[in-house]
Amino acid sequence: MHIMQRIVQKSIKMILSLYSKSLVIAFIAVCSGAVTGFAQPEAAPDEENCLICHRYPNLGRYDEDGTRRIYYINGVLFGNSVHGKVRCKGCHTDLDKIPHDEVKVVDCATQCHIKEPSSNLDFSHKNMVKKYENSVHGQAADEKKKFPEDLPTCTYCHENRSYNPYEGIWGKSAALALETLARCQACHTEKDWTEEIYAHFTHRMRRQREQDEIVRLCTSCHENEQKMMRHGLEVVSTFKDTFHWTMVKYGVKNAPDCISCHVPVGYTTHEIQHRTDPVSPINTRNRVKTCSNQGGVQECHPRATADFAEGRVHAYGSKVQLLTAREAVIAEAEAEAEDSVMLVRARKEVTDEEIFYYKVLSLIRLAYQVLIGSVIGFMVVHQLLDFRRTRKKMKTEGIHH
Amino acid sequence: MSQNEMAIKHKKMSGEKDQSDPPRYFVRLNFNERAQHMIFVVSFIVLAITGFMVWIPETTLDLLGGAKETVFTVRSVLHRMAGTAMILVSAYHFYYLIFKPAGRRWFVDMMPRPKDIKEFIHNMLYYIEVKEHPPEFDRFSYKHKMEYLALIVGTGLMSASGLILWAESFWDKFIIDIAALIHGMEAVLACLAVMVWHMYEVHLRPHKFPVDNMWLTGIIDEAEMKEEHPLHYKKIMSDPKLRKIYLTKGPKQDE
Repeated sequence: MHIMQRIVQKSIKMILSLYSKSLVIAFIAVCSGAVTGFAQPEAAPDEENCLICHRYPNLGRYDEDGTRRIYYINGVLFGNSVHGKVRCKGCHTDLDKIPHDEVKVVDCATQCHIKEPSSNLDFSHKNMVKKYENSVHGQAADEKKKFPEDLPTCTYCHENRSYNPYEGIWGKSAALALETLARCQACHTEKDWTEEIYAHFTHRMRRQREQDEIVRLCTSCHENEQKMMRHGLEVVSTFKDTFHWTMVKYGVKNAPDCISCHVPVGYTTHEIQHRTDPVSPINTRNRVKTCSNQGGVQECHPRATADFAEGRVHAYGSKVQLLTAREAVIAEAEAEAEDSVMLVRARKEVTDEEIFYYKVLSLIRLAYQVLIGSVIGFMVVHQLLDFRRTRKKMKTEGIHH
Repeated sequence: MSQNEMAIKHKKMSGEKDQSDPPRYFVRLNFNERAQHMIFVVSFIVLAITGFMVWIPETTLDLLGGAKETVFTVRSVLHRMAGTAMILVSAYHFYYLIFKPAGRRWFVDMMPRPKDIKEFIHNMLYYIEVKEHPPEFDRFSYKHKMEYLALIVGTGLMSASGLILWAESFWDKFIIDIAALIHGMEAVLACLAVMVWHMYEVHLRPHKFPVDNMWLTGIIDEAEMKEEHPLHYKKIMSDPKLRKIYLTKGPKQDE
């Protein structure tokens, strides 16, 4: 019995001491960042030592509004992103105290501490922000914009994407990329730097988003009926009535998505203008060029004529519907302040020709609906009667024979 | 149950009259017409499937995964091929109607007549059991004539709108909109009509179930001829010229 007790006591002691030792070891390991299981190793040189805290996936809080905020930074992913070489404080300019107090939202027009190599000046997205502010999505273009909170900011579309892996460009094999990179590195021996520059150049040579991703991105705002109504815009479901969308839906390569027509070759997304603006690619003057997509990856409608190109591409939407609605509906729209933006824009933008076209198409649709209903209804009744009568006849004849 | 009964009935009806004579069969569709029908059926089915694929919702398409694009390419090619086949067989049908004696007979028999309206009313009264017997139909009844008219109009509209959509760059966008709208709506109408009218006529009618194989053999027996086309039966039996055309010895295969 004694021996047994001793053995048990000893083993318990041993387990306890091992446990406490391992706790200490674990603590040290956590503090030194040696445990890679739940903390990422540093990838980008972290001169400001931000990752000492921000590498922990559980770092975060619920803010005053109850929104969950995650402050975790994956060092490897960030290091491989387009901003991987920018220091944290290059964008987050006001993070001087620890723990940080009130932090401002990052302004993309900030001059970060990267030198722009062509001019050797501090780099900034200021130019782009300025152009953007003058586009339809910006605030400066139309001072009457009543709901600035609806407008997309830089980060709404730009997510600090990772650089592409060294894959082929435009259908060429990955070997080409590796071969090109090897040639660069023959002279530029600084391996990391060369890879970074190569990634920077080739980044733009590939589509960042698939067609359906583009449509999803744009529709995330443009499908919101209330939001569009406030600004007097049509809901973009009118695009989903077109064969263009059918091709996007099937994942066809180079299928026409939003930017294929609204931002074709030679235009930038940041400078989208209203279609009445002569610089807009969907202005009737520029349509033939846009439809034929000259200079694009593929020529979409190479034989496009003006008659073909100047027609309405999206299905007829809420503006024409509003204008052709009954008097009462228009009066109601006029009474409501929000809807009147829609009405004003509709009256300004929709041509009489479009209204006529819409009416003709609606009439054909209605005629077909009536035709389908009456013809198929007649057929069903006729055949049911026939079925009943034939069955009955067979029964009576069966009895007779 | 009905099939057995019908078989007995058919035997009795055809057997009782002329026991010594071999059973008589009547040509409804000759080989040429059956071939036209076959090409039309195949192209119609291919067109319907590949056409309505355009309306499959995005979420359902995701089930195809990476094969989506290939499916779309194949769908597009097949739709155009089947459309071409349908247009060609329709064009041949017009040639057939004008230049072949059998085609001319078809055309004359298919012409709508005031008699058809009378027969339609009569048949409706028969259905609701006011009249005891159905009208005496000729070679083609009002059912066939209505369907044939719908077929010609429908194929014409589908071919025209389809060709406009195929050569999209030549047209005003408004014309393309109209063509696309008609192509879609007419497709719905045609498919529903075929399902309700034609499928019932040849598959679901009590004594035709599961399928009336006349579309393959082209002939029907005397009992069916007497019941469904009594007037035409009388005409054939009284006219030696028509007897030569429509009477046949029967199916080569065993029954």
